[in-house]
Amino acid sequence: MGSQSVCLDSRVLHWQPSAGAQVTSQTLVDLFRSIESMNGVRTGRWQITAAQHRPFTRDQAMAIDCAKELLGVAFSEFASKHYFVLRAERMVVEADSSIQAIMEKLQVYRNRLSMVFEGFQYQLGDFQLKAGRAVLSQAENLRGIVLEVEYSPVSSIEKTRQMMQEFVDLWQEAISAQSMSGRISLLEPNFAEYALSDTYTWQHTALQYIFLFAYFLSQSQRA
Amino acid sequence: MECVVQGIIEAQHVEALDVLLQGLCEGQREAVKTHEICLKSTVASELHLLCDLSKRPHIWTVKHIGGAMRGTGAEQLPALVRNIVESKMSNNALRFFYAVGYKMDYELLRDGFAYRFQRAFPITVTVTSVCRLPKQHSIDEATPVTPNIQLVEVTAPATADNFSDVVPAISSFAEHLSPLVNLSKPGSFAGIVSTASTAAASLLSRSDRLEHRV
Repeated sequence: MGSQSVCLDSRVLHWQPSAGAQVTSQTLVDLFRSIESMNGVRTGRWQITAAQHRPFTRDQAMAIDCAKELLGVAFSEFASKHYFVLRAERMVVEADSSIQAIMEKLQVYRNRLSMVFEGFQYQLGDFQLKAGRAVLSQAENLRGIVLEVEYSPVSSIEKTRQMMQEFVDLWQEAISAQSMSGRISLLEPNFAEYALSDTYTWQHTALQYIFLFAYFLSQSQRA
Repeated sequence: MECVVQGIIEAQHVEALDVLLQGLCEGQREAVKTHEICLKSTVASELHLLCDLSKRPHIWTVKHIGGAMRGTGAEQLPALVRNIVESKMSNNALRFFYAVGYKMDYELLRDGFAYRFQRAFPITVTVTSVCRLPKQHSIDEATPVTPNIQLVEVTAPATADNFSDVVPAISSFAEHLSPLVNLSKPGSFAGIVSTASTAAASLLSRSDRLEHRV
């Protein structure tokens, strides 16, 4: 598809509070501290936007047979591209960001809601960590906390699986040392079901964020 | 936005046009082999999905061609000015558009070559044979719609701010090709150049002499 921003093998995780506990802004601050306690160096901000689109409502005569839900993802660090996911059809599509202008002209789908994931990123040896909040656009209610672990040297999912898990276990230990009530949790899509190969790409990351987006939407959160 | 002029040329004169374009262009001749699928929806505007078969891996592009500029001023322009939005896509683009309600209206193969010129504005000249596919997606069985005629297109990207400069640039460039092909707005073909045979013969003989000297 032409030039690509560097894509690191990545696992998108989220904070799972213990039963009865709530996710708050303080939880996020504590997670930043846990990264800093492992000597993570803050390198900047990041933002990812996920959106849910539904077909325009039309009368029976004008209705078309189309996917009932279209999900989109855009990354601030790779702004030239846009990703669509059709879950029922098990499809991830990568396109230039101009696809949004095309879809806007087509008027087949309308944006129903958007979620912004944003926070700080850190460098820790060969690992790059992101931690941030998930909020619906136009709202401030915290819907969840997202954590992303990226590993640079290798881009094969199978080869990095164990290494990633060991890192997450270490991170969990640092978190437990802060007496935080919860754990790091993974929602891993079945990449093969979406025809994604073992070589990691931005499409893999897009799919993980869509899964997390759908998960947060399905949960009720209070700030 | 883009500015466009088109014309047709007899297949026997394509070699001469190639020589002429080589002489005008400092860049490389590029192969063109594009599978074009026109998609339609009952509720939305049509789309063109193009697969560039000349490159590995194949590159897919979706194109939304908007309406042409209208009005008295636009009618007097020697080139068509129209809105266009393009996006490269992953190779599941066709499946994606089927899933969002589109159906294939027709498909064709464009087979030929192109030159890119960097003048005041970037100009692309494409010379292709338009081929039909006897069965769905049967690229290898494609046959020219008009075996003796090829399509010549000259296009240049433009914006709302500069199209009034791009149009004369494209028009002026088209003059260079006038010995072999009449270029005009799409939909108003000016026909084949009656003296193209003479011009072609002259070009090819000059080209032969140059090659012998080298």
